[in-house]
Amino acid sequence: MARVAEDDERAFSELVRRFQGRVTNLITRVLNDRECSDDLAQEVFVRVFVHRRNYRRGSKFTTWLFTIAANLAKNEIRRRVRKRHWFSLDALQEIVNDSAIQLADPTEGQETVLQREQLQEAVGRAIATVPEKYRVALVLRDIEGFAYEEIGQMLRIPGGTVRSRINRARGMLKRKLQPLLRREGTS
Amino acid sequence: MNCGDARRLFGAYWDDEITLAERDWLESHFASCAACRGEYETFARTVELVGSLPRAEVRPGLDERALARARRATAAPDRLPVGTPRWIPVTATASLLAIAATMTLQWMGIAPVARLNPARTTPAVTQPVLVHSADAPATSASGTDAGTAAPETLAPVAGTVPDSLFDHSADVEFILDPVKLRKGRAHTVLRLNPDVQGEKAVITF
Repeated sequence: MARVAEDDERAFSELVRRFQGRVTNLITRVLNDRECSDDLAQEVFVRVFVHRRNYRRGSKFTTWLFTIAANLAKNEIRRRVRKRHWFSLDALQEIVNDSAIQLADPTEGQETVLQREQLQEAVGRAIATVPEKYRVALVLRDIEGFAYEEIGQMLRIPGGTVRSRINRARGMLKRKLQPLLRREGTS
Repeated sequence: MNCGDARRLFGAYWDDEITLAERDWLESHFASCAACRGEYETFARTVELVGSLPRAEVRPGLDERALARARRATAAPDRLPVGTPRWIPVTATASLLAIAATMTLQWMGIAPVARLNPARTTPAVTQPVLVHSADAPATSASGTDAGTAAPETLAPVAGTVPDSLFDHSADVEFILDPVKLRKGRAHTVLRLNPDVQGEKAVITF
């Protein structure tokens, strides 16, 4: 990052290649939208380059990078709520119902087990129904594996708040996935 | 402690952020409470599933696209901090220059153009006083009286000088001296020809 701050474009390309997977994954999981995640990931790195001189040496680069990524993902969720009402209460309920139908489809026999891919898709959809402030913390913790303190720095909230948000998000997910997991257990 | 307390510890237990005493109590509770054990298994499976989701694929060439966009953004940043509008200093400078120019002109004694505009300053002209020579017909000395004099005396004169209201055959002189404006007041300077006999006709503006 020090080289990027000195306008080294080759170092910037290297930095993008190194972190593009994690950044894209974070955005994909928060938005549950692969099409959009590429553009947003690009935007994250553009901001890193534009604001390269604002980066304080000595602070952890991943914290700074994922702060930008989390903020952009949150902004995108809010933009969608404002513009298309994708995540309005009605739309949210629709998605929840849809997920529940998919997870506990009574027409499926007990022998029918969701394929691994379908299961992952269902989990991804369930994550997308968790409210934004819980979802971002959950993804940062349980998918990207950041420490609570680091997440607190990224989201600018105390560590205790991070813990409670993640616990609430896990609880919500557990309730959503419970029918699926029960079936998985019996099969 | 009860089942509610046990379930509140699920997250900390999973993250291994629990005290040794709490761990011992929770594990002994699981041994005796099948419901809490089942809840924890569901909880743990959920977190595992979230953590085992496949990584999103990155489209090739992201670094090049990001670099190209970063170059464009650096060349013409679309989100510059909003500074003071440039028209404010320009307008302030123009106003100061205008004030300075006005003060300088006043100091030099040059009136602004707007004050010399004749269309705006309609002169309140007092009626001139006609001065008659000795061989002129004896009428009243006042100009108003001349205007109201008997038609038979003024008609031949007016016929010879149709463009004038006054009898130029008589020794009549208007004194229209340039007006000097000083400090916004009009001052007339009278320079009477000593050969002309007459009374002063002062025209003020």
